Amino acid sequence: MADATLLNIVLFLPVAGTVLLVFIPKGFDSAVRWTTFWVMVLQLAATVVLYVHYDAAVPGLQFETRIPWIPAWGVYYQIGLDGYNVLLVLLTAFLGPLVVAGAFSAIKKDVKLFYAMVFLIQFAMLGTFVAQDLFVFYLFWETMLIPMFLIIGIWGGERRIYATIKFFLYTAFGSILMLAAVIYLVYSLQATTGITSFAFADLNRIELPLSVQLILLSAFGLSFAIKVPIVPFHTWLPDAHVEAPTAGSVILAGVLLKMGTYGFMKLGFPLFPDATRYLSPLLMTLAVVSIVYGACLALVQNDIKKIIAYSSISHLGYVMLGLISLDLIGIQGAIIQMVSHGLTAAGLFLMVGMIYERCHTRDLAAYGGLAKLLPVYSVFFMILTLASIGLPTTSGFTGEFLVLLGAFKASWPLYLSGNVFPLALSASAVLGVVLGALYMLRFAQRFLFGLAKAPHAPVADLNLREKLILASIVVAVFAIGLYPDEPLRKSELAAKEFQQRVTSVAIPGSAR
Amino acid sequence: MSWLAVLIALAPENLLLAGIVVLIGVEICASSSRAALALSCVAVAAAAMAAAYLYVRGYAATPFPGHFSIGPAGSLAKAVVLALALPVLLLSRDDFREDGQFHILVLSSLYGFCLLLSSDSFLTLFLGLEIMALPVYVLVLLAFKRPESPEAALKYLILGGTATAMFLMGVSLLYGGSGTLSISVFAAALRSADTMAMAGVTLILLAFFLKGAIVPFHAWAPDAYEGASIPVTAYMATIIKAGVLLAALRLFGTEVVSRPVDDLLAFLPLVSIVWGNLAAMRQTSFRRMIAYSSIAHAGYLFYAFLGDGAGRFQAIVFYLVAYGLMNLLAFASLPAGDDDASRDRLDNLKGLFQRRPYAALTIGMAMLSLAGIPPFPGFVAKFLIFKNVMAAGYTTYAVLGLIGSYLGIYFYLRVIQYMFMSADEPAEQGRATRRAAIGASVICLVPVLLVLVFPGWVLARL
Repeated sequence: MADATLLNIVLFLPVAGTVLLVFIPKGFDSAVRWTTFWVMVLQLAATVVLYVHYDAAVPGLQFETRIPWIPAWGVYYQIGLDGYNVLLVLLTAFLGPLVVAGAFSAIKKDVKLFYAMVFLIQFAMLGTFVAQDLFVFYLFWETMLIPMFLIIGIWGGERRIYATIKFFLYTAFGSILMLAAVIYLVYSLQATTGITSFAFADLNRIELPLSVQLILLSAFGLSFAIKVPIVPFHTWLPDAHVEAPTAGSVILAGVLLKMGTYGFMKLGFPLFPDATRYLSPLLMTLAVVSIVYGACLALVQNDIKKIIAYSSISHLGYVMLGLISLDLIGIQGAIIQMVSHGLTAAGLFLMVGMIYERCHTRDLAAYGGLAKLLPVYSVFFMILTLASIGLPTTSGFTGEFLVLLGAFKASWPLYLSGNVFPLALSASAVLGVVLGALYMLRFAQRFLFGLAKAPHAPVADLNLREKLILASIVVAVFAIGLYPDEPLRKSELAAKEFQQRVTSVAIPGSAR
Repeated sequence: MSWLAVLIALAPENLLLAGIVVLIGVEICASSSRAALALSCVAVAAAAMAAAYLYVRGYAATPFPGHFSIGPAGSLAKAVVLALALPVLLLSRDDFREDGQFHILVLSSLYGFCLLLSSDSFLTLFLGLEIMALPVYVLVLLAFKRPESPEAALKYLILGGTATAMFLMGVSLLYGGSGTLSISVFAAALRSADTMAMAGVTLILLAFFLKGAIVPFHAWAPDAYEGASIPVTAYMATIIKAGVLLAALRLFGTEVVSRPVDDLLAFLPLVSIVWGNLAAMRQTSFRRMIAYSSIAHAGYLFYAFLGDGAGRFQAIVFYLVAYGLMNLLAFASLPAGDDDASRDRLDNLKGLFQRRPYAALTIGMAMLSLAGIPPFPGFVAKFLIFKNVMAAGYTTYAVLGLIGSYLGIYFYLRVIQYMFMSADEPAEQGRATRRAAIGASVICLVPVLLVLVFPGWVLARL
């Protein structure tokens, strides 16, 4: 039964779940929780079936649905799986039940609305990944904002209003410019080829002069760069992460940030290859600045959520670096790094949420020696810390290592060949790994070791629910670390196609 | 044409007229607000259905050659906007319990609206515009719930009169140049380089800007919107705005605008978008906020005239429907307050989700849609307009307009923030159940969901 219908079912299960929640009467909070959880599990199961049946050897879309939606504009409801999104869809579906289960004890207010919003954001995120039509993509892309806005704003911390409005306004600004670029792009397509279409496949065929490409890439790129976020567009992220409830942080770090890099990979770079190559030194520099700057900021934070928030900026810098290196290994590394960061950051945010539920403070100085107080917690924490640093056998290693390999092999514009700049840039990226180890180990050392103290002693160690949540993440982290071949194979064709598309021009820096 | 054919061709207008006559009779014999509400709803629904029937039949006729003609497009617009008037009438249940005047005035105004949609000459267009506008001056005053109402009504009356004068002056210039009152003169004047024709076009355009509340002619709107009672504000924000825009559309037809009119047509609406959205941020009154938002939306709507002629009707009607539905949805869900002033305060919305989740969700949806956030109908409507503007080659104006629309997001979000994220909840005051208002919001919600899921289906029918 693994066909296009199943993908539609996966996509619309959260909507069905929301409708289901509406009919659960007030006061049955645990019914709401379990309904959401099982719907999410069902979605994960269906996604696994899709993943297993996804044929890595076949290029292009699989499980494709294409139905006219707004025929007058050439808009099709077109979804499908390909090498670009298959891993991210699996990641999203995988984190779904964990987010829900992780919020069981933390969310006490407006439970129904909360889980409805989790459903809706799940729907929007999956939709963004599987959409193969720019209009549909944009709809899902923007729809994502609304549930996140409410999740941070209603269930967040003290400065939640500030954080959530900042989050919304930042991302909406990028989206507005992207919208203008979308309209322009579609009209260029119509003017040059005569077809009115929003389909990615059609848009990929369009050939634009470099000057136009640069403007359009800036518009798309700004939107994506804010989502990633790339320094200097990152300032919304620490606020949003710190104020968001655990589930919000997990969704944000686990999936939402990947929207930006996915956007670059699926749309930004392939649609405007000349501009991408033209701007690649700049983009690469920004990626490395994100890596180093994010790591430096993470090093000096005393708020445990902020450490992980800034580490996310650093880790997504690697993803950008891998993509823009335009080297096959680097691109594949970037895809793995996306999934890996989704797992480790989600896990770390969940763990921070668990300790926050017990002690109600995020101040690093308030903790110490948790290894003695909470042995099980500490073991999980250490594993995720090491995975975040990128120790071999964990997923983090696979991703970062491949990205760095790619960075050294990156193709540079002619005017930079023989220059020391590219080497210095790649070397700085390696420095980021060292800094990564530094800030995570500083965090772990102060958090887990030393004099045993906690704001609320005695603290209870993890319960079964929490253990199961973390165990599943740890298993996934090791699975990718020990057997990276499987995800690499699934994304290989897409990485090749991406590389070919962006680099397939004889003279760099010129229009085709 | 035989008198029967004329009767059929004017069926929507005649049904409204019959409704008015019966309502006056009822008002004289036995003043019953319940009966008045029922009667006016029936009359408007019947008129809307008659217009829809004419549209489906593809009915086209010219009962009064040179002055009044009926075509499918006009019938469709009539049907749609008359249908939008139904929730307004239902809304009035709570604010106009005692008098039936409200219904008579609304029906008269709608009659004028129908007239202008079928007008072929400046004479009928003017008649339509005035019949539509005059009852509204009274409607603003009718509530008299607060001391500001007479001032608002007077301001509206004087500025409305100015617009009328400007319109007539422009028409007389066009008439002087061409010797005919046919509205096709306007489209011809758009093409010509003649100074007198240009002056006429500019005056008429400015009259529409004044009536549509475009900056710098917008000052009446916040006062009038705030001074009127909720159903009247809803009526002004939706139906009157639709009437003004459709009247302008009647004049422009499918004529492509060229220099220098296009700059006038782009610049002032652009300023409106920016200013309306900026000024709305500072408002503490819900109706004032909606007034500034309507100033911005008038900007988007006039933007649509930049687009090429063929897509104009679709873009404007779709936008008017999306915009009107959202305003009505928000007004219908507005919670009750101590008195009119406190009900109007944005603070009254604080913690609404805890008290009335349904109302909070519908208002939230309306706000997001007005802000143009996908996937709500407001986004598709805005997309359609900007798509047309960009297709016509006005890329810079389109981008600036989009950035202007971005400025509006904040104040719509603030409403959501008040409803969902505010801890302090004002105690619920006043009437507990407002069945008519809930009915109105349900009436609006159905087409909203339809557009949400099947925008293509709706667009194909416009």
